[in-house]
Amino acid sequence: MAEWPASPSVIGKRIPRLDGLLKASGKAKYPSDVHPKGLLFGAMLYSPHAHAKVKSIDTKAAEKLPGVKAVLVIAGPGTTLRYHGDDIAAVAAETEEQARDAIRAIKIEYEVLPHVVTEAQSMAEGAPVVFKGGNVKKGRSQTKGKPEDTMAGAAATIEATYTVPMITHVCLETHGLTVGMEGEKKAIAWASTQNVYGIAGDLAQALELDRGDVTVYTEFMGGGFGSKFNADVWGTTAAKLSKMAGGRPVKMFLDREQEHCAAGNRPSATAHIKMGADREGKIVSVIAEGHSTGGVGNGTNMILPYVYRGVPHYSVGQSNALTNRGGSRAMRAPNHPQSCILTEAAVDDLAEKLGMDPLEFRLKNLDPGSPITPIYQAEIPIGAELIGWREKRKPRGKTGTGPIRTGLGMALHTWGGGGNPGKQVSCTIHPDGSVDIKTATQDIGTGARTILAMIAAEMLGLQPTEINSLIGNSSYPPGQPSGGSTTTPTMAPPCYDAVTKARDALFKKVASAFNNARPEDLSLKQGQLWAGGEPVASWKEACRKLGTSPISVTGEFVEGLSSTGVGGCQFAEVSVDLETGEVKAKKIVAIQDSGLILDLLTWESQVYGGVIMGLNYGLFEEVVMDPTSGRMLNPDMEWYKLAGASDIPEIVVRAYSPPDEKGRQVIGVGEPPTISTAAAIGNAVSNAIGVRVTEWPMSPRNVLNALATASREGRS
Amino acid sequence: MTEQRPRDPGGLGGQSRRDFLRGSGVAAATAVLTGQATGVLDEAQAAEESAKVLSGTVEITLKVNGQERSCEVEPRSTLLDTLRNRLDVTGPKRVCDRGSCGACSTIVDGELVYSCTTLAVSCQGKTIETLESFETGEGSVPHAFHQNDGLMCGYCTPGFVTACKAYLDKHPNATEEEIRKGIDGNICRCGTYVGVLAAAKAAAQAKKGA
Amino acid sequence: MKAFEYAAPTTVDAALKLLGGPNAAALAGGTDLLGRAKDYVTSPDRMVYVKEIKELDGITGDAKSGMTLGAATSLSEIVHHAGIREAYPALWQATSEIGSIQIRNMSTVGGNLLQRPRCWYFRAGFGLLGMKDGESLVRAGDNRYHAIFHTDGNALFVSPSSLAVALIALDASAKVRGPKGERTVKVEELYRVPKHEGESELTVEPGELLTQVTIPAAGKNGAYEARQKQAQDWPLVMSAVNLTMEGETISKARVVIYGVAPIPWRSEAAERVLVGKKFSPEVAAEAGTAAVEAARPLSMNAYKVPMTRAVVKRALIRAVQGKGYWEEA
Ligand SMILES: Cc1cc2nc3c(=O)[nH]c(=O)nc-3n(C[C@H](O)[C@H](O)[C@H](O)COP(=O)(O)OP(=O)(O)OC[C@H]3O[C@@H](n4cnc5c(N)ncnc54)[C@H](O)[C@@H]3O)c2cc1C
Ligand code: SF4
Ligand code: FES
Ligand code: FES
Repeated sequence: MAEWPASPSVIGKRIPRLDGLLKASGKAKYPSDVHPKGLLFGAMLYSPHAHAKVKSIDTKAAEKLPGVKAVLVIAGPGTTLRYHGDDIAAVAAETEEQARDAIRAIKIEYEVLPHVVTEAQSMAEGAPVVFKGGNVKKGRSQTKGKPEDTMAGAAATIEATYTVPMITHVCLETHGLTVGMEGEKKAIAWASTQNVYGIAGDLAQALELDRGDVTVYTEFMGGGFGSKFNADVWGTTAAKLSKMAGGRPVKMFLDREQEHCAAGNRPSATAHIKMGADREGKIVSVIAEGHSTGGVGNGTNMILPYVYRGVPHYSVGQSNALTNRGGSRAMRAPNHPQSCILTEAAVDDLAEKLGMDPLEFRLKNLDPGSPITPIYQAEIPIGAELIGWREKRKPRGKTGTGPIRTGLGMALHTWGGGGNPGKQVSCTIHPDGSVDIKTATQDIGTGARTILAMIAAEMLGLQPTEINSLIGNSSYPPGQPSGGSTTTPTMAPPCYDAVTKARDALFKKVASAFNNARPEDLSLKQGQLWAGGEPVASWKEACRKLGTSPISVTGEFVEGLSSTGVGGCQFAEVSVDLETGEVKAKKIVAIQDSGLILDLLTWESQVYGGVIMGLNYGLFEEVVMDPTSGRMLNPDMEWYKLAGASDIPEIVVRAYSPPDEKGRQVIGVGEPPTISTAAAIGNAVSNAIGVRVTEWPMSPRNVLNALATASREGRS
Repeated sequence: MTEQRPRDPGGLGGQSRRDFLRGSGVAAATAVLTGQATGVLDEAQAAEESAKVLSGTVEITLKVNGQERSCEVEPRSTLLDTLRNRLDVTGPKRVCDRGSCGACSTIVDGELVYSCTTLAVSCQGKTIETLESFETGEGSVPHAFHQNDGLMCGYCTPGFVTACKAYLDKHPNATEEEIRKGIDGNICRCGTYVGVLAAAKAAAQAKKGA
Repeated sequence: MKAFEYAAPTTVDAALKLLGGPNAAALAGGTDLLGRAKDYVTSPDRMVYVKEIKELDGITGDAKSGMTLGAATSLSEIVHHAGIREAYPALWQATSEIGSIQIRNMSTVGGNLLQRPRCWYFRAGFGLLGMKDGESLVRAGDNRYHAIFHTDGNALFVSPSSLAVALIALDASAKVRGPKGERTVKVEELYRVPKHEGESELTVEPGELLTQVTIPAAGKNGAYEARQKQAQDWPLVMSAVNLTMEGETISKARVVIYGVAPIPWRSEAAERVLVGKKFSPEVAAEAGTAAVEAARPLSMNAYKVPMTRAVVKRALIRAVQGKGYWEEA
């Protein structure tokens, strides 16, 4: 079995990303930046209605407008449009202004149909249906033991309904691509995607070409978070428009409104939860019934109870309510953030009911059968120390007398991650000493490009900056789509394999040139070739011995370098203004295990980024669907709220990495750190104000409503 | 019923341009104004000239990153779309296109603005700086972003770098709190704020040291 | 955005001439107008850029005799003006919390006062009142950001200008010039509650230009704002107040509230509580309570009632005492 070097010189260090200066100087060309010769600008026409039938569509006027080169109808007469933002037609024109004019010149007659955009509307008796067969689909239900009986005998129980809204990915670079034909038989595209390899196939299919005839580049891309795996209707449409316009390249990127409405969402989740514990503080029973909507796509697959899987008795039912809104897509740790909020809120409330410290309560209820349990047991005290749990935390509601209250909360999370076989990386060592690493994966901001270079540098005794890390090209050896925190654990092993094999081949070829050394005697470090403990040549000199033929090796997945399954815990300190309902995050502590860390600098960035995304989920974000018009009311970046610099608290990030953690190899950290932040924030708010805010985000409205309800009911 | 999207009170048509011009008594119907509107001319002439009405497509010259760049725009073309689509200056990004995210931040006549919400025609004669013109060596803002990993996907980064540079140029002694406020008009989805603030502080420090 | 003509006059006279045609609009910072044009909510045939007009720019005067702000003065100039910060903290605080540096660099006094409501039904193209088939979409739909006063009518949006709230508290007046000459009005008279779709919430007519705003010497004044985000965000509720003191006693009070009505909301109820009393935090609290007595929230914005109560109280405390009890708990 392969093994990472025991005392690495590059791996685990803080290495600034290789393309960082290109990005920070504005010189990096994103797919939305490229400007190939003859470029036309595309624009999409999308549905203003939540539900409608296209009665007729007339593009004549649009075609005659100046600059318009191609018009394509996607939803012809008779087509049902199922959400605000659903695709109808597209154009390509000489200027973007002209393209937008042309879109508006397309005349459409709609038959507007009744819609359902909220869960309540969707689930109502006799509601209009989104698809034939009804709106409500039963999801995974599970029963273990005798939850009802046990609940009845529990020493303490809680019962509440917790709700998390739908959010969207808000990739800053919207979905889209620039695509053109080279002659009849070849196409070239620059796509903003998490799947440069796969998109080539999508486009080939749309253009009726072979996969190899389409080259897709993704040198840089402006965020995906799970929503950018396919070419999508707009992408294939752009390819067709290019073909119609004689092969001229077409740039097609969604506008922000359609991006919000049609390019994916994280489904909402609501669950009515009963939870009971015995006198010792062991959760004995959970009864939960949940529902969610992911628009025309899947709802949340709620994992209830989350983390605390050792609960002896539970029954969980859930349903997905289809609505007239664009479909859900994977979003950073699909299903986990919702499941975490729902479970951790109930767990916190139950601890409160029992009068127990919620931290102790959690420790008591960790699943004895889970391999992650010892990790939680080690992480929780570290986090508690860093947030000041013992000194600062007061019992719920006993947080002072002024209008500004501070509170502490925590939550746990888990994630799989891990690598998969089947992908390849090539390594070429050139006689001039340059090294190329190639694979058709992409860097979605995680630092994948840098990590491949670091692995190669490590194995060759070089610096990462001396490696050409070539990714984002579909014609390279098949690489991993960036999803599920799998990119690094999937790509690291074949990279290791390719580089080690290339190195060994180099040794074989050049050994004789150095005092007739045997290949086994050679090693590489500090930019030198060593033979029997002595440096004998610089890297470049060694490579020169290759003469005219470079070494090129393709590496495959090898066992032993990556694994799966992580746990983490997060703590939040917030202040809440009881009079205005304003919530400020003051401090967040994230303890994350993630096996062997390759680049500590980008690893930390990933965790900070995950926490901040979770902070947004906890405090700001929500899709607002209008029950009356059926439209999304905030398809912008003004009423769809995201944190700015002044909203960012002190964030303390710690890798949980005792020596045996490294033995767990590379795992991947894209998703786990975003899971539990919003839950911890919600719990901290409840701790601060003495009342559970059952609806996320912790907006002034939700906080003041919770306070008002409590005072009406005489609870506060 | 035939209709466009519901936000459509105006449509494409409207008042015919010729009637309109006759109504307002402006003669130079298709006047094309190139280059600086004022400056070389004397006051009275300037007032006269400036009242000229631009319509259709017009050739303009913009001073971008120290270079005079000419291109054809429409009066409605934003500075951002002009830079990106016509001049291949693609540092500034289009993200919200409504003045709420900061990705398009550009410095016009020394002031930080959202170029998505600025008309190109109104920038004639003004100095336009995008981050492509910034120093990138040690001590510079881009360098600090790189070293402190103030970026991930990097799409918001040009806006942040520009906002930071503009702020630090005017407030070299800014505290962290002030820097935060100084860049509050920018949004990052990847959540790079920790690195961004570290970078801003490092750049401020370097500036003072220099 | 529909195609339009453009001109950049350098005098008010030239600008008025250019604005004389049908469907022409003044363009200042563009932060509101261009967004609306992109959303096809407003589609002018001509935009007349007013920021090249020197006579519209700048801040003059002093705290004693009052100050005058040119209509094309940028909000940043207000924030950087030491005299304003000193004499009119209500204006300074309100302005410094508007948008971001970029927004404040671009946008102007005139543009801020005459910006159109941010109501999401209006911006989605359903008209200022958000009516569909005779029914109010706002009333039946998502009205979390809408009005809590004046809710028996159909104008349920909230007036968007932070500046207006401060300027009305400061009893400022505005000069408006048009083809028929010049008039001076109180800033509060720039606004009205539209009675039907097609009536504007602004009293400045198409073809007119707001040229300047004059603020008289002020009493103890201040502002307080509640919002969801700390970074760039709109206020949920904001209040600006101005108290004329005779010794310890409040002889005149102006209390104006943002985010609660289709016009900047002058709370006479709160003012009545204050006048004739000695200031104390308790009196401020009483005024806050009085301010919301007549509130009639919609289906989703009852939270604005306690919020308004607190915001009015805090604006008063800040005006008189500077730092408040809520700071640094
Ligand atoms: C993200 C964001 C956050 C914001 N937050 C706030 C906030 O918290 N508080 C707040 O008050 N505002 C806020 N704003 C709004 C912003 O302040 C206004 O858009 C701005 O003040 C308008 O000024 P402008 O000069 O850009 O106006 P423009 O957009 O150029 O014009 C606005 C309107 O006024 C008319 N107009 C302009 N000048 C004159 C004149 N001299 N005479 C006659 N008519 C004129 C125009 O024709 C147009 O109809 C925010 C905006 C954004 C995008
Ligand atoms: S599992 Fe994660 S990385 Fe994946 S697509 Fe999903 S959200 Fe993205
Ligand atoms: S693109 Fe200009 S502010 Fe968002
Ligand atoms: S780095 Fe991706 S949005 Fe900021």
